[in-house]
Amino acid sequence: MSDALLSVEGVSVRYGDFSAAESVSFSIERGHIVSLIGLNGAGKTTIVNTVMGLHKPESGRIVFKGEDITSLSTEKIVSRGLSLVPQGGRCFNRMSVQDNLLMGSYPRTARKKAKQTLEHVYELFPVLEEMKKRPAGTLSGGQRQMVAIGRALMACPDCLIFDEISLGLSPAVIKDIYNRIIKINREEKTSILLIEQDTKRALGASDSFCVMLKGRVVLSGSSSEIDPETLKKAYFGI
Amino acid sequence: MAKKRLVKRNVRVLDSLPMLIVCIAVVAALYVACLTGLASNNAMRYMIQIFLYMTMGEMWNLLSGFTGMTSLGQQLYVGLAGYSVAVATTKLQLSLGIGLALGVAVSVVIALLLSLVLFRMQGMYFSIATWVVAEAFEKLFLSWKYVEQGSGMTIRVVPYPKISEICAASLTLCVVAVAVVYLLLRTRVGLGLTAMRDDITAASAVGVNIFAGKLLVYVIAAAFIAVAAGIFFVNKGIVYPESGFGIGWTVSMIFIVTIGGSGTVSGPIVGAAIYVFLQEFLAHYPGWSNIILGAITILVIFFLPKGIMGTLQEKLGFEIFSAKRFSFARHR
Repeated sequence: MSDALLSVEGVSVRYGDFSAAESVSFSIERGHIVSLIGLNGAGKTTIVNTVMGLHKPESGRIVFKGEDITSLSTEKIVSRGLSLVPQGGRCFNRMSVQDNLLMGSYPRTARKKAKQTLEHVYELFPVLEEMKKRPAGTLSGGQRQMVAIGRALMACPDCLIFDEISLGLSPAVIKDIYNRIIKINREEKTSILLIEQDTKRALGASDSFCVMLKGRVVLSGSSSEIDPETLKKAYFGI
Repeated sequence: MAKKRLVKRNVRVLDSLPMLIVCIAVVAALYVACLTGLASNNAMRYMIQIFLYMTMGEMWNLLSGFTGMTSLGQQLYVGLAGYSVAVATTKLQLSLGIGLALGVAVSVVIALLLSLVLFRMQGMYFSIATWVVAEAFEKLFLSWKYVEQGSGMTIRVVPYPKISEICAASLTLCVVAVAVVYLLLRTRVGLGLTAMRDDITAASAVGVNIFAGKLLVYVIAAAFIAVAAGIFFVNKGIVYPESGFGIGWTVSMIFIVTIGGSGTVSGPIVGAAIYVFLQEFLAHYPGWSNIILGAITILVIFFLPKGIMGTLQEKLGFEIFSAKRFSFARHR
């Protein structure tokens, strides 16, 4: 726990009377990949949005680099070094690919290095440089995911959160994107939180995992030591 | 490759020194026409209307076309400015300049206060709320004795400005409004505003301060609309609740932006000119004018959804006053 970059400690989130997350706790160590897996409606995206300051928790706290960020605004959380690749990419459709990427360096902390980071993003995704003037709304699903990842990288984050990166993409594109995620983690030592429904792929890429079911963490451990039968029971709640 | 160069060159030409020289020449010619008597009084009356509607159109476009805040209540600031000028000049015997400044100050304060409530809403809820607030102010002014209730207030400015002076002031306001919108959109904050329009959650997730962005745009729009409305009512000489707080003002702004091209800086310039001439032409057909304006809007939405300038720029591959760092190119 002491070497944790990001700690989610007993976080509960409610939407009116509905409890979307109940006492959720997990942590990510520096340079590690953690996968948060679960069925639709398990509360994964709620937790991600809460970590990013898009929702405020009812109780619990979120600590990033030793600082309590629970009550910080999203822009302050981003400037501290947390970056989100939202579900479905969520590009700025009427803006060009390059403007989308430049939006990633919006925080003051990332602005100085924007030019250099942009070159790095283009090295990682050469196809984006070829399409830099195209409106993002005209790209394919896979290309839009690349824009979203590139945009998140432009913030020079210490921790990257991918919310259901494989949603709606072909297996070949998913494989390609996962390879790039692992490359980002290994080369830049960026900690990564993977939110996924595809357990096999997420566990294959991560060091440790948490399974969420009905708003609670029901199982966690090392990805390499997981018993498939235990995972299945936790995942489906059987 | 040749096609790529052509598109790039076009964009550069229209946003660089030659374009700036053309703009300065046009504005200088308009000033000369206003101040030397080259333009007739009738022509200046049209010009005043066009410049003021351009200003209002630019501001509504900044709100809706660039930031995604579709306000149906911008008439609130028209009414507040009209009454501020009337109270300052007629009741308090102050100068016109102070009257206009009072209009801006009142509008900015009300905009700041309303932002605390209005910015909690998004989409159509925001639109409806802005409209409801404007309607509430209209009812308030209809029953407020100090501002002569429903009978309205006359505006007595001493000395009354010449029409050429009003025309020059309107032109100045219009030029400043276009410059402010253009320059704002070219900044990092402007990039954040367009991101908010496209996806407010994603914009927040990359670190855009949504409240600050909305507040900035809302206050700028309120201030410019207040000045434009102040000049309009000075020219008209009277303000009453329906003429100040009527939804017709926002409908005009929407028409101007829709016809010209939402999300383009040049759109409201073209849209305002078309609107003023159409309004004049349709004055001969009372009762039909609103129906015809509505029909034109629907036809434009169907056949030119990006408006005249938006469509022209896309088809011909150029942009005037481009707000984008990387302007669109044609991709086939």
